[in-house]
Amino acid sequence: MADSDALSTGERSRRNVLKAGAAVAVSGGVAPLALAHPAVAAESALPPPASTAEVTLRVNGVRRNVTVESRVTLLDALRERLGVTGPKKGCDRGECGACTVLVEGQRVKSCMTLAVMEDNRDITTVEGLARGDELHPVQAAFIQRDAFQCGFCTSGQIMSAVACIKEGHTGSHAEIRDWMSGNLCRCGCYPNIVEAVRDAAKGGKL
Amino acid sequence: MSPIVGSPVARIDGRAKVTGAATYTADTQVSGALYGYLVLSTIANGRITGITTQDAERSPGVVGIFTHQNMPRLAVPTSQLAAYWKRVIPLQNADIHHSGQPVAYVVAQTLEQAQHAASLVNVTYDARTPQTSLSGAMDEAYVPDPGLEGPNEVTRGDTEAGLAQADVRIDVSYTTPMHHHNALEPSATTAVWDGDRLTVHETAQGINATRLSLSEALDVPLANIRVLSPFLGGGFGAKGPVWPHTMFTAALARHLRHPVKLVLSRAQAYTSNGHRPEAHQRFRLGAKRDGTLTAIDHITTSQVSRTEDLLFNTSEPTRMLYACPNVHVAQRAVKLHLPAPSNMRSPEVVAAHGLETALDELSYELDMDPIKLRLRNYTSVNPDNGAAFGSKHLQECYRRGADAFGWSKRDPRPRSMRDGDTLIGLGMASAAHTAGGRPGAGARVVISANGKAVVQVATHDIGTGTYTVMSQVAADSLGLDLDDVDFELGDTDYPFAFVSAASATAPGVSAAVNRACTTARRSVIDIAVADPRSPLHGIPADQITVEAGILYDTDRPKLRDTIRAVVTRHGEPVEATTNPVPIPPGYTTGAVFAEVRVDPRLGQVRVTRMHGIFDAGRVLNRRTLRSQAIGGAVWAVGFTLSEHTMVDHHLGRIVNPNLSGYLVPVNADIPEIHIGFVDKPDPANREAFGARGFGETPMTGMTAAIGNAVYHATGRRIRDLPITLDKIIGDGEAG
Repeated sequence: MADSDALSTGERSRRNVLKAGAAVAVSGGVAPLALAHPAVAAESALPPPASTAEVTLRVNGVRRNVTVESRVTLLDALRERLGVTGPKKGCDRGECGACTVLVEGQRVKSCMTLAVMEDNRDITTVEGLARGDELHPVQAAFIQRDAFQCGFCTSGQIMSAVACIKEGHTGSHAEIRDWMSGNLCRCGCYPNIVEAVRDAAKGGKL
Repeated sequence: MSPIVGSPVARIDGRAKVTGAATYTADTQVSGALYGYLVLSTIANGRITGITTQDAERSPGVVGIFTHQNMPRLAVPTSQLAAYWKRVIPLQNADIHHSGQPVAYVVAQTLEQAQHAASLVNVTYDARTPQTSLSGAMDEAYVPDPGLEGPNEVTRGDTEAGLAQADVRIDVSYTTPMHHHNALEPSATTAVWDGDRLTVHETAQGINATRLSLSEALDVPLANIRVLSPFLGGGFGAKGPVWPHTMFTAALARHLRHPVKLVLSRAQAYTSNGHRPEAHQRFRLGAKRDGTLTAIDHITTSQVSRTEDLLFNTSEPTRMLYACPNVHVAQRAVKLHLPAPSNMRSPEVVAAHGLETALDELSYELDMDPIKLRLRNYTSVNPDNGAAFGSKHLQECYRRGADAFGWSKRDPRPRSMRDGDTLIGLGMASAAHTAGGRPGAGARVVISANGKAVVQVATHDIGTGTYTVMSQVAADSLGLDLDDVDFELGDTDYPFAFVSAASATAPGVSAAVNRACTTARRSVIDIAVADPRSPLHGIPADQITVEAGILYDTDRPKLRDTIRAVVTRHGEPVEATTNPVPIPPGYTTGAVFAEVRVDPRLGQVRVTRMHGIFDAGRVLNRRTLRSQAIGGAVWAVGFTLSEHTMVDHHLGRIVNPNLSGYLVPVNADIPEIHIGFVDKPDPANREAFGARGFGETPMTGMTAAIGNAVYHATGRRIRDLPITLDKIIGDGEAG
C-alpha cells in the first residue's frame, strides 16, 4: 500500500525517525534556544536546553537554511519556519497524507520525518510543481476532474499522485485506488482523484 | 437564457488549491505569533483539586500556563446566531464534565515548546465514576424542551389505532455509534489585536457566529471584531458552532498583548468540536397488505452532555417522507459524561437510516418490491403540515435510478445472487433531507469603470464550490462574462450570511447575489438610457438586454453600449446591496442504490457500485454538485461499514481519537459512483435560479441502501452499525 511504501522509503521508517531524533538530542554541543520571556529566563534551575541544528533544505530548487530544534518535523520546519504552507497538517502522525512531499523524488509524509534528517536533500512541495503559469499535468487533471472539494488534502494527494505515476502504479483503476490509499480525502472525492491520476498518467510526459 | 448558471464550470479557486496558494487558517502567516496548545482532562467526571505548572512554566520558550485559576473570565454567549451551543465555558472553574475537557492552555514561542510544556502540566483530580454508556442509562432518557429544530415530540393521528388497523406490523430497533467529523483540517484560530480591535483567522463555517460569540464572550463591540475564513479545509458541521478554544485564543491574545495561534491536534478534535451522538432508535411500523402505511412510531434516544441537551439527530424523515396518517416521533436524551454533540453532516441520516432500513424489513414481511412499497406511500405534499413542496420529483428519481442500476435484474430472495463463492447484494432506499427555512444572506456588488464587478458576501466555501457557483450566478445576473466577476467571501466586513450548514449556502447566497446583481444591472441600464452620450439614450429600460458586458436594444441589437463605457461615463462605480433574503423551506430527495459483495468466509463487505439520482431543483453547476453527491455516498460507506468512535466506559475516555483507529473510507474502499440529477427548478426558490439546498441529502438513504444490500447478500440484518466483519460472521457462518 502507498501508506507503508512512503514510510519505508530508504531509512525513513517511523522507528528510524524516532531513533535519529534521540541521537541528535543527546549529542549536545549546540547553542541553547534563546529565551525571550524574562520571567522564564530569570529562573536559575532551567532544564537542559533542547538541542538545535542548522540544516539546509533544498525546497523546490531553492536552498533554505534554517536553525531548528532536532525534534522539529520536516512538516513544521516547512510550515512554521519557512512559510511553505502547501503541505498541510491533518493528523501529525502519518495517517492522513495531507503533508506528503517528495524527498529526492520519493513521496514522504513530512510529519513523520525530522528536518535534521533531510539536511541537504531535495524537497518538492506542491508549490514547486508548476512551471510558471503552466500547471503540472497532475494539477491540471485535478482541476479538470474536480478531484477535490475543500482542497485541504489536495497538495498531499497531488504529490502522492506525481510519485504514484512515476512508480508505475497506475495500470488500472484498482491499482490507483490501492496506491493512493495513503491519502485520505474526507470530502470523498476518491473517484475523481482516480480519474485525475489516470488522465495524468495517460498524458505521458510528467 | 442563463448560459453560465447551469454550466459545469471548473472551480474558480481550483488553481489556488492545486498550487498550494490557497491560504487556510493555519497557513496565515502572522508575524511574531505565539503558539497555543491545550491540555485536556484525563478524567470524565469530577473536579480539579490541584494543578502544578512550575515545570511547564520553566520549560524553554513558555510564555504562560493558563488554568481555571488564571484564565481571563469569559461570558457564555447566548444569542441564537452566536451558535455557541454549549451552556458552559471550560477553564472558568474546577468542574470536569467529560474526558478531554480543557484544563490548561499553554502559550509558548514555538509549537514544539508549547507541546512539550503541555506534557509537563500536572493535574490532580477528585474523580468520580463516569457514566458514558447509552445502553446502560436508557432508563434515564427524557424528552428535552424544544430545541433548535423545534419540538422533540410530534404526534399526527393515532399511532396505536393505526397499528391496530395494520395487517402487518414490525417492531425493530437500530443503534448507531458516536461519529466524528474528522475534517482533514483541524480547527484553528489565530487572534490578532490592534488596540481594541480584534482580527481572528478562524476555521469557521459561520464567521458571523464566531464574531457574535467573541463579542459576547469577551465583551467587545461587534464592530471591533473581524473574522476571516477565505478557505476552509472541510467542516461537516464541526466548524458551524463556536467552541471554547476560539474564545480562549482571542482572550489570551488580548491578555498577552501578542498574537496567538492555536491548532487543535487530531486527538483533541475528538472532544473539542462536537460529534454525532450514539443513538438508539425503535421503530414500530404498521401496514395494510397492499403496503399502505397505517402507523409509524419512532422513538430515538441519543446521548447528550451533562451540561446541555440540544439534540441534532432529527426525525424529519419519519414525519415528511411518506404519506402516513398516524405518526408519532419522540427524540429523547440521556445525559452522559461525554462532550456535547453538535451538527454533523446530514443530521437526519440517523432517522433516515432507521426508517429506510425498517421499510426494507417491511418489504420482506409484505413480500413486496421496496420501490413499489415506497411508491405506494408516496406523498406530493408535506404530510407534517399539509403544505405543498416547492417541487418534488422523487418518482422520477426511483424510475431513473432503477433503470440505471439494473434493479429489475435483482432476485429479491436473500443469498440468491452469487459470483462464485462471493455473495452479491443489491439494496435501495430513498434519500431525503430538509433544506432551507434558514435566515439566508445579503450581498453587495460594485461595478467599476473597468467593466468588472466585485461581489461580496460573508459566506464560506467549505468545499461545496461557493466561489465558483456564486461567480456564475453573479455573471448571469449582471450580464457579465465569468472572467469579469470576482466573488469574495470569508470576511465579516461583507454583508451577513448564515452559517454554511444545513444545505443553506447555495439557495440563500444565490438568491442574495441574484437580487443585488439584478439591481446593479438595472442601475447600469437606467444610467445608460438617461445618458445622452449613450447610443441607448431614450430607449425604455425594460427593452434593454445585457449580456457579456454589452447592453443592447432587444429589438435592434445593433444599438448597443458596454457596461464598461456606461460606468466610465458615469464617473463613479455602480453599487447595490441587499439585506438578507430568507430561504424558503425545502425538501431535497432522491433514490439511491448500492451493490455489495460479501466474502462469506471473512464477512468482508465491499461496496462495488453506487447510484444516486437526486432532485436538487435546478443544478447550478453539475461538476461541483456531482462531487458533493459523491462525497455523501462516501460518507454513507463510512457510516455503514467502518466509522465508530469507541469509549472506554471505565475511564469514560475515547480510545480511538485518531485516523488509524477511527476508520474513514480510503480510496480503495470506494467504487465508481454514478450520479444523476432531475435538474428541474424549484419554483419556491425562483430567486436562487430554482436551486434547492442539496449537501445534506446524498448521504441519507445510501447508508440504508448499503445495509439493505448486505441483508440481500447474506440474509443477515445487522441493526447495529457499523456493519463489521464480526457481525456478519458472528453467531454462525454467513456462507
